[in-house]
Amino acid sequence: MKILRVLQEVDRRYLYAALLLAVMLPFLMDVKIPVPISAQTNKMYTAIEELPPNSFVLFGVDWSAGTRGENGAQTEVLMRHLMRHKVRFALLAFDPQSKELCQRIAQRLQTEYGYKEGVNWVNWGYRVSSNLEMYLKALAQDIPTAVGTDIHEVPVRTLPVMAGIQSAKDIALILDVTPSSTFQAYIQFVAQPYKIPMGIAPTAVMAPEAFTYLDSGQIVGMLAGLQGAIEYEQKLGVVGKATRASVSLSFAHLLIIGFIVLGNLAMLLERRQKSRLHEGDAQ
Amino acid sequence: MLNQLFQPAHGTALAGYILGAIVFSLIVFAALMAVPPRFRRNIILMATFVGGLFYALEFFWPVHAMPTPEDPTRVGNFLSPYVVPFGDITTVIFAWTVGLGVINLCQVHGKRVIKGASGAFNSMAFFLSMIVMLVVYILQQAHPNAINKNMKVLLFDGGLQSLDATMFSIIAFYIVSAAYRAFRVRSVEATLLLCTAVIVMLGQIAIGQMLTQRIPADPHNFVHNFRIEIIRDWIMTKANAPATRAVAFGLGIGGLAVALRIWLGLERGSYFESQG
Repeated sequence: MKILRVLQEVDRRYLYAALLLAVMLPFLMDVKIPVPISAQTNKMYTAIEELPPNSFVLFGVDWSAGTRGENGAQTEVLMRHLMRHKVRFALLAFDPQSKELCQRIAQRLQTEYGYKEGVNWVNWGYRVSSNLEMYLKALAQDIPTAVGTDIHEVPVRTLPVMAGIQSAKDIALILDVTPSSTFQAYIQFVAQPYKIPMGIAPTAVMAPEAFTYLDSGQIVGMLAGLQGAIEYEQKLGVVGKATRASVSLSFAHLLIIGFIVLGNLAMLLERRQKSRLHEGDAQ
Repeated sequence: MLNQLFQPAHGTALAGYILGAIVFSLIVFAALMAVPPRFRRNIILMATFVGGLFYALEFFWPVHAMPTPEDPTRVGNFLSPYVVPFGDITTVIFAWTVGLGVINLCQVHGKRVIKGASGAFNSMAFFLSMIVMLVVYILQQAHPNAINKNMKVLLFDGGLQSLDATMFSIIAFYIVSAAYRAFRVRSVEATLLLCTAVIVMLGQIAIGQMLTQRIPADPHNFVHNFRIEIIRDWIMTKANAPATRAVAFGLGIGGLAVALRIWLGLERGSYFESQG
């Protein structure tokens, strides 16, 4: 009886310690588990593969260090694909941290794929998120004027990467890596009015909300959380941050499921014992 | 003409623009504060209405060809050329609201520090971090030498990013504790929720997907539907998506109603009514 009560009320410090170990230990192992590629990840891959060479992608990056575990891996794997496929892209941040975080990812990857900042890609920098809708509306109409300068204060109009890019109709694809609902503004003010295909990479907690847009065809593909990035890395045949974190993610989820099952089993067994005792007393 | 006002500026011109903008804004604020509250409300109402009207008209007014030397295929109406300047104006207004937030924070924390009330130490930490970050960022922009750059890296990477990541990571520990205590099969609904959660969680991880990997992956085979990731996808697209869409429709209609009320000045409690 006592053990059943203990199993229902495990001290939270033991839970915290177990989670810490479940997340940390897999990083010391070199285990790769193949995963089936989901339909939404496949669609995202196809959308980028179908882009004509040298076309222009608007790459929204609206995350901060808090969600780097998921959004950082998603940004990196999508950027790899864009660079591998030789298309131009522009980073646009509605979070002050992502401007710098994504600049570093792009700078790190550009040597690997022979890319050059200003020629093959550009970082438009940070814009205030509370003005998201109005800014995107202006951006869609006149990109060089609305953007002004890149993060190095160079007028984007003068950059080779911006050649032929005047308004939203010159954008071939929109991507948005986000832990919030910024992608909805992209859909409303840029993607749908100008009939531009759009793919998103939300955090796992935001993904359920985004499935409805996938269903309606307003987005062409999605990387759902870290698992989406794991699938995409597998699709590209690279071992990146997401694949390395895959086992940690699995262990953490299994731990939660294990504790939930344990707590419920103990509760049900205790109930059964109590009802038996009551029956015995009644007799 | 409006576009010319928002061209990027550098050096002395930038400083001149910033100073000019501050002086102009202070004059506007002073003039607004000098007006009696009743008229002030009307001015704000009018500005809100004109702002809303601009975007509504620009959206609904028929478009025609409006070629420019840079973009010969451009289409729009007589309001379209003003969309970019309006976007810039709203950016400036929102930048001011950030300033308002900073002033508010300084007032709240300043009072606490002066009075020595509980939490004064935290308030001092706020002032210290805000001032240091501000000074280092300005220094790094004005004189990008090695010391200033390293100071910025230290504060941004070593401080802000690490704190942000830590704060968010801590949530995982609370989720484990909360899920363990809250997910109990006390009713039919709770059991249903628990089973759904477990299936989605297992379907979301590599080890969970391994459990059903022996089931044929051929979509034409009926047994294929019992793979954990297929059940997860069914839950997400057939059960979750319609419910989310219904909520989104409700929110959209509610949002439209609220937007109309604000635009037409019908919303109670706004526009300085408490001062009127």
